[in-house]
Amino acid sequence: MHPILESRQRLVFYLTAWLPIGVILTVILERGLSSWLEAILVAVPLTVVYAFMCLSAWYVCLAVPMRNPSLLRLLVTLFVASALSSLAWFTLGEVWVLGVEPWLELPGLSERYTAQFMPMFANGVMLYLLAAAAHYLLIILAESRTTEKRALELQVLAREAELKALRAQIDPHFLFNSLNSISALTIVDPQGARSMCILLADFLRTSLVLGARQQIPLADELRLVENFLNIEKIRYGQRLSVVRNVDPGCNTCLIPPLLIQPLVENAIRHGIAPLVEGGTLRMDLHRTGAAMEIILENPVDATRVNTQHGAGVGLENVRSRLARLFANQSAVTISSDNDTFRVRLRFPCVESGESA
Amino acid sequence: MNPLRIIVADDEDLARSLVREYLKENLDVQIVAECKNGFEAVKAVTELKPDLVLLDIQMPRLDGFEVLDLIGRETNVIFITAYDQYAIRAFEVHAVDYLLKPFSSERLTEAVDRAKKKIARGEPTAPAILSTEARPPGSRPDRILIRDGGDVHVIPMTKIDYVEAQDDYVCYRAEGKRFLKQQTLADVETSLDPSRFVRIHRSYVLNVDRLAKLELYAKDSHSAILRDGTRLPVSRSGYARLNAVIG
Repeated sequence: MHPILESRQRLVFYLTAWLPIGVILTVILERGLSSWLEAILVAVPLTVVYAFMCLSAWYVCLAVPMRNPSLLRLLVTLFVASALSSLAWFTLGEVWVLGVEPWLELPGLSERYTAQFMPMFANGVMLYLLAAAAHYLLIILAESRTTEKRALELQVLAREAELKALRAQIDPHFLFNSLNSISALTIVDPQGARSMCILLADFLRTSLVLGARQQIPLADELRLVENFLNIEKIRYGQRLSVVRNVDPGCNTCLIPPLLIQPLVENAIRHGIAPLVEGGTLRMDLHRTGAAMEIILENPVDATRVNTQHGAGVGLENVRSRLARLFANQSAVTISSDNDTFRVRLRFPCVESGESA
Repeated sequence: MNPLRIIVADDEDLARSLVREYLKENLDVQIVAECKNGFEAVKAVTELKPDLVLLDIQMPRLDGFEVLDLIGRETNVIFITAYDQYAIRAFEVHAVDYLLKPFSSERLTEAVDRAKKKIARGEPTAPAILSTEARPPGSRPDRILIRDGGDVHVIPMTKIDYVEAQDDYVCYRAEGKRFLKQQTLADVETSLDPSRFVRIHRSYVLNVDRLAKLELYAKDSHSAILRDGTRLPVSRSGYARLNAVIG
């Protein structure tokens, strides 16, 4: 649909712009014709007609877009189109004056009009080119508005994805069970309740802050993991124990945020929590040169066949996040025997300042 | 009136201590046992015959629904969970009372009072169908639980050879042993993985992994010979079903 014809407001605005053009045309024609009356009689209808004829410039603009690689082709097309329209316009004027000449008894009007060919033709070409310029402007404005809108939409989408990822990371089970522990502690150990509130607040805040970043040093993630483990220790008491073996060289390696904490959470929820006596979570983090290796190991209930199948989505998430950062240099492997479950992550250690 | 006898089953010490505190002032109820896992809960229910069980869904060994399946409809339950979308939808559908952690003392008292009224009217607090509807759709249990007095036998699906109908019971055969469970063979058939277990006869469901060969027995019937030499009858429709699975 034509952008000017599609809205009444735009059409009125466009036609108003033609008012001064009509006046100028009248002034020009008055010099060659015999009276003001004749000039008005010819100029007014021709201006109205040409205003509509010039709308066809839109299709010319679409056919030869501004970004056309060949400037020559653009100019030739525009000049041919404007010359043809101008000629057609002049001919329409000729028909008009021939019609009104006998009717209004203005002898010689048609000869006088024909003598005005040159100024009429020049005006026609110029007006058509102006209209083309205006249409190009409209197209550019519409395009920039669409790009702006798309950029905005993309921004909103990215933000939403981030929030959704974060919401998925903070497990509702963990949150509500922790609140329940606090509720119980208020009666039996008010001081403990207070410190658990603080631990939980720290954990949530740190998750939000770290989660908003692209990459974080491994040391930051490990602090978050410790924070998380402190909360879970209050819930599970003696049933949860942790053995850590962390190579200090790992601390500066960059990783996507909230990479390890969800794995630790899974290990507790699907591995240790279903065991009556609980068990020990082992975390091994090693660095050999530029090669990082993280191993998480937890016991599982041997009587349940697919105890940790719920962890599948989480592991897929870890795999794709590592792959996005390190391409095919990263690997996530799972192994399980009768009563242990093991996740192994391997990826290159990149420190801040280097590029991945 | 005698106080309502209650069992509290939750694996977290703090969670149990909260319920204990909430009910301390309530003279109409008495906590007769506290259980840390599903096995303890089944045992305590069998031995103590309580009026009501406060049952946490996430527990070691057996989860809340497995406990419900085992204690049957003889005991009333109120479920407790932190967050479990499927379970909550099932509770709403069947008007089963539940508590969301953390809950208030008032909310617990309300739930106990409601349960008391249901018990007085002789209504069960949870229908048997609840445990299948409360799980995520498409998830099949990976093991069979059989109650034997206060003890529970856990049989992984892969260990089952076949299941035989016997009057009001079904008999699971696994690792050379027999386990009786009050259940219909039709229920057994729907609870097992259809790509592995086939109803070969009015009275038998077979684990196709155990099948050694099929023999023509009479004009329209076959016999299934299992790896251990056991011979089971196969009906005509059972033969068709078996062929559809093993191809």
